[in-house]
Amino acid sequence: MNSMHGSDDQELDALFRAYHDACPVPEAGANFMPNLWARIESRQRSTFSFRHMANALTTAAVAASLALGIYMSIPRSSAFDNNQTYVEELAAANTPDTMDLVNPATLDLPADRPSR
Amino acid sequence: MLVDFELIRRAQKSDAAAFNEIVLAYRKRILGTIARLIARPEDVEDVAQEVFLRLYFSLDQLRTAEVFEPWLYRLTVNAAYDYLRKQRRRQEFRMSDLSEQQVMLADATAGGKAEKEDIHRKKVRESVDSLLGAVSEADRVLLLLKEVEGLSLKELEKVYKVNENALKVRLFRARQRVLKAFGSAKKGAAG
Repeated sequence: MNSMHGSDDQELDALFRAYHDACPVPEAGANFMPNLWARIESRQRSTFSFRHMANALTTAAVAASLALGIYMSIPRSSAFDNNQTYVEELAAANTPDTMDLVNPATLDLPADRPSR
Repeated sequence: MLVDFELIRRAQKSDAAAFNEIVLAYRKRILGTIARLIARPEDVEDVAQEVFLRLYFSLDQLRTAEVFEPWLYRLTVNAAYDYLRKQRRRQEFRMSDLSEQQVMLADATAGGKAEKEDIHRKKVRESVDSLLGAVSEADRVLLLLKEVEGLSLKELEKVYKVNENALKVRLFRARQRVLKAFGSAKKGAAG
């Protein structure tokens, strides 16, 4: 069995050696170099246009971010300020001439009046 | 080395003439290696151009000119592997695609010694191609580099950037599979 395996090993080695000689090595065609340079230039062009597009997209994204940042930083002239509670908003809306419905009623007494 | 380090350094600095010289120096060797790796003569030139194209765009990543050859081999292996993967040619394990009848017909019509040698070479190519169908495309390339191209384990280590023991294990397993297919094909041919 082992000797059979050994002979298979040797035959396979011989087959691999024969394969080396059996593969024809094609001669490079006359257009090998011109075609190669054409492929290089084509790849360079596509890489350039991809980079160009990527740069344009990056610039557009930066510009959009800046515009959004500026827009968000502008104070809103909203009638209702979100930071205030409803009660505070209501109190602020009360003018002196309207009745105070929110605060407890107080009675102003003259300070110099002697207490009994 | 077929070229000197200075030429490689010049090519790294985008010197087109230097790059041309490198291509001309290595073209024949690369064509031969690819011819044996892919076994499709009509596509050899195309794959070789892909190798040199990749070389052109990756030369700036080459750290030292001293490792140029393993680097070029690596590019060759990758291009051949990509080609094989695209082709996905998986053949059945058989000794030859040529039937006995075809061989006899060819013998009768050709007659000459040169033609007989051509037929023999074709049978050898097809036999090895069929046997290598027993392993993956990656193992096929590895096995051919070792067994047919004659690269040493040290050289393969540089090409694959994998340690020698891992390569030995992978080569052993791949060879065992091919041997098994070889045994089956022999039995099939005898029976």
